[in-house]
Amino acid sequence: MKPAPFDYVAPTSVEEACKVLAEAGGGATVLAGGQTLMPLLNLRMSQPFVLVDINKIPELSGISRSENGIRIGAATRQCDALSNALLAAELPVLVEALRHVGHHQTRNRGTVGGSITLGEPAAEQPACAVALGASIEIASVRGRRSVAATEFYVGPFMTVLEPDELVTGITFPHWPSGHITLFRELAQRPGDFALVGMVGALALEGGSITRAGLGWFGMGGTPIRARAAEAALLGQALDSVNADAIAELALSECAPFDDHHASAEYRRTVGRRLFAKALREALTVREAA
Amino acid sequence: MNAPQLPQGLGAARYIGQRVLRKEDPRLLTGRGQFVDDISLPGMLHCAFARSPIARGNIVSIDTSAAKDMPGVHAVYTQADLAHFNAQMLSFFLLPPEVEITPLAGSRVCYVGEPLALVVADSRALAEDAASLIEVEYEELDPVVTLADARAGPPIHPGTSDNVSAEMGDEELDDDLAATLNGAAHLVMHKVVHQRISQAPMECRGVVATRDGNEELTLWITCQSPHMIARWVSLSLGLPQTAIRVIAKDVGGSFGLKNHPWKEEVSVILAALLFGRPLKWIEDRYEALTTSNQCREAEMTLQAAFDAEGHLLASHGDYACNNGANPQGPDNNIAVHMFLWAAYKMPAYAFLTRGYYTNTMGLAAYRGPWALESLIRETLLDKAARKIGIDPVEIRRRNLVTLKDQPSVSSMGIPREDITPAECMEKLLQHFDLAAFRKEQVAARAEGRYLGFGLATYVEPTGSAGSMPVMTGELAQIRIEPTGKVTATMSTHSQGHGTATTMAQIIADRLGVAYEDVTVFEGDSARGGFSPGAAGSRQGVIGGGAAISAADLLAAKVKTIAAHLLNASAETITINGGMVHVAGAPEMSRKLGEIAAIAYGEPDRLPPGCESGLEVQHRYQPPPMTFTSAAHACVVEVDAETGFVKILRWISSEDCGTVINPAVVEGQISGGLAQAIGMVLLEEMPFDARGNPLAATFKDYLLPAISDIPEFEFVHANTPSQALGGMRGVGEGGAIIGPPTLVNAIADALSPFGELPDTLALPLTPTKLLSVIEGRDLTAHSAPAPVVVSADVPASEPAPAAAAPAGEVRVEGAWDMVLKTPMGPQGMVVTFAIVGSAVSGRFDSPEGTQEFSGGTLEEGRVRFDLKVEKPMKITLKYDLQFDGDSVSGKCKMGMFGSAKVSGTRKV
Repeated sequence: MKPAPFDYVAPTSVEEACKVLAEAGGGATVLAGGQTLMPLLNLRMSQPFVLVDINKIPELSGISRSENGIRIGAATRQCDALSNALLAAELPVLVEALRHVGHHQTRNRGTVGGSITLGEPAAEQPACAVALGASIEIASVRGRRSVAATEFYVGPFMTVLEPDELVTGITFPHWPSGHITLFRELAQRPGDFALVGMVGALALEGGSITRAGLGWFGMGGTPIRARAAEAALLGQALDSVNADAIAELALSECAPFDDHHASAEYRRTVGRRLFAKALREALTVREAA
Repeated sequence: MNAPQLPQGLGAARYIGQRVLRKEDPRLLTGRGQFVDDISLPGMLHCAFARSPIARGNIVSIDTSAAKDMPGVHAVYTQADLAHFNAQMLSFFLLPPEVEITPLAGSRVCYVGEPLALVVADSRALAEDAASLIEVEYEELDPVVTLADARAGPPIHPGTSDNVSAEMGDEELDDDLAATLNGAAHLVMHKVVHQRISQAPMECRGVVATRDGNEELTLWITCQSPHMIARWVSLSLGLPQTAIRVIAKDVGGSFGLKNHPWKEEVSVILAALLFGRPLKWIEDRYEALTTSNQCREAEMTLQAAFDAEGHLLASHGDYACNNGANPQGPDNNIAVHMFLWAAYKMPAYAFLTRGYYTNTMGLAAYRGPWALESLIRETLLDKAARKIGIDPVEIRRRNLVTLKDQPSVSSMGIPREDITPAECMEKLLQHFDLAAFRKEQVAARAEGRYLGFGLATYVEPTGSAGSMPVMTGELAQIRIEPTGKVTATMSTHSQGHGTATTMAQIIADRLGVAYEDVTVFEGDSARGGFSPGAAGSRQGVIGGGAAISAADLLAAKVKTIAAHLLNASAETITINGGMVHVAGAPEMSRKLGEIAAIAYGEPDRLPPGCESGLEVQHRYQPPPMTFTSAAHACVVEVDAETGFVKILRWISSEDCGTVINPAVVEGQISGGLAQAIGMVLLEEMPFDARGNPLAATFKDYLLPAISDIPEFEFVHANTPSQALGGMRGVGEGGAIIGPPTLVNAIADALSPFGELPDTLALPLTPTKLLSVIEGRDLTAHSAPAPVVVSADVPASEPAPAAAAPAGEVRVEGAWDMVLKTPMGPQGMVVTFAIVGSAVSGRFDSPEGTQEFSGGTLEEGRVRFDLKVEKPMKITLKYDLQFDGDSVSGKCKMGMFGSAKVSGTRKV
């Protein structure tokens, strides 16, 4: 369990990192927090020629308000995001989700960008990005681009990121103050990847839903946005929402699979239930308030 | 000199029974423990293995040239380089394997991960780099993976006719037993399918081996007893045991895995002998999960007949376990049947038990290796109680053997003298208000909450000594220094057991010195004497007895000397707080160290004939077997929407005899229960149809975390055993009684929805439990295609020897024979003398020589009886068929059923 030989570079700017990635011609792997990569290197499942350590690039860390919402630098530690006041005030559901990411020890090193970029279909942060409408900032020597999270994931651990590209940040759009948040996860042990999970946000105006962002994790090959369910919620008054019907709609967009921890049918059965319960409870709490 | 006899139990004591702080903890908690990977020797090189990526196949070629050419690589060894050592891959009972097992794969591979080349390099990373350059060409064969594959498939080992590795009992049900089963008021059938488990010790396997001189070896190895390792290596390699020193100061858990070295450790040892420089191999977690021996995978079907009131009448068990390809001794787990009904009034029991070879990782022991008996019995009893309409407590009250029913003997011949599962259960029920719980359960159900109560009882054989060659007594060597300090060298060994603490508590009490002044040394084969170490819950029982005996002998010597020096009678002398006192004469008190100084330095002042020094050793031989009993209960809540299980309470009421240190006892039980919870809810080592292990990291192999374990409550229900000191042993119990306790609670919680499936298949995943709750099968995986094991693929068997002419059977003379005993194959030479059709002869085996007569010969069939005394009195009925130069047949061994015999003419 020792990594195959590789070269190591630790650039101090995005430009420099991009240059290394471009020169490596696909043979480079980016090291952020290393909570997934280091085991993969040690298991020799990942055998890059060059390891590009981005931990020394200042502009990749930090959480700030931007014109499009809130930007989280790709190398921002999960523990820092978890205790960030801006996130707590404006994107509480992301903070809730972060509590379920790994353990204290892994969150001290693990980064938001690392998890987003890895694309583990049962992970919390990619699902947050998809559900809440985040966009992924990408840089390369060819320039910078931004990809909607919903377009970013193409399969388990597969994204549209090109080998010479670096994820530099994630921008979550602004959600109006007082929006409703939903988060439910079922994992066999605390800190495990989800058997089933859902996350979402609902914005209200005059007692009816004006914007909805809903997503699944652990329910298919990628994080899944529940667009049909979102559409069905728009314009509805809180007390008129049929949570079971919305959950059924949301489920129609999933394609969960079997593994030795749970069957696809289990994930569908419990997912539907979990989704409806989360929605029902969120709406009830808000109505009572 | 005989050890003074103690009254039963140890009565009032200053340290025994106290939660004194463990002597091991300061170094372990501050990172100063010494594990194998902490050892670094001058000139030491590192090892890594190239391993088979396929489960079954023939090796066509191995090309190590690229690996050898790599800078930093010193050597690459294959089996061709190691074969001349002829290392014997012995079992725990020190018996050779009956199929070919070599340290590195030779001409064939038989499981994924089988080591086939060893690289020696400057660093582990370089060694791994080089290992990946070794090119192997295989002729791949379809693997035999599951028990079903093993029954139907071709034999995986050349020279065998089927995949049965070990077999006992009878295939046909006795007519009387069948009649009782079928005629009973209630016949309950139950099947358990136990998944494969990884022992997963915190410290993976590892060895540092160095050759000191031509035939001398020093090994640092993570193990269960350095003495056992030294003996195993000595016998395996044919080196004198004194030429081998084995050191294992701290060990991070073992659980049966590290009883003795296996393929990797032996390969490293041989490589160190060949290469001459110290070599280190530290198993990484990927190797540990996929290529350390594994355990538990088994299936059992149990029938039990009850009368109308729920009294047991008869039972039959059919058991099979997956031995993998290279088990640490072929095993059919006879202990399952021996102890299945040992604590119950069960009039009749019969069984069939088999182990099978498959192309998977080999079997090793795991905490309570026979534990399936408690799982299947206790879950069957609850099922029966629901069927008969009585309470789980009541069905046990009607059937458990109580103290009033003893002494008695179980239907399998187990003597019961002081087992107390019924008493443990009653004590548990004083602590747990079951009636109140039932009310709470009803109220909760009305709210859609499903609570369940689980109960189980068991007995466990512990402290085994004297019936098997490696299960010996334990040795204590104690000396009092002129400094007043006491040092003890024990044959015990800790992999987390805290024996340096518990043995010190005993010695401090018996000698009358402070616990802080006693230091216990173990973990080095150069110190002390042989013991198999932590195996079968024995160290507290036997090591404790040895500590008592030796300390008492030493205290007696101190008193004799002090009486002489102080001109008092020995009866008036007491030792207390490190001081020697004379009754009624406080001014005559002396420090123990002063007496010691005289004992060593001024022999003239000692009583006539008294040997100088204050040193004593004693090997304690306990009764052949001791029993621990327990009853456990737990309360769970099952979430009917998700099938998730939450454990709300867990109560242990155990009789482990005298408790030396409650914290150590509770720690042992808690650890076993954590493993039990893992086995019931989380852990599984699955294989795909090609024999690939599917849980290669802790992301997929789910060990219980601290958040999955409740706070356990302890109701100690102890009674002293007949062993010196009254200890009973507690190492394995939690892992044995935990699974049925939890399964019964889950079944009780789900009883409004129906019974658990007829086949109880562990682990009980949320998917399986939700299937019960919803009354539909959610488990239907999009299953991979079943493995196709073509029966017409011939195993690569050697060509049969030329047969003798038919009809001319010559029995007279000596034959090499192998009897498949419950402890593994046993080799012997049988010499026959034939007069007409009368047969007599002689058995020669390592256990001794035995003669027989009165046998018969008829058309090549020889039948005779052999009466043996060891390990117990039993008549063995041999029925052999001779054919040319080979012989095969059966040996009927009383209640143990039949065992296979095979052999060839001795040349």
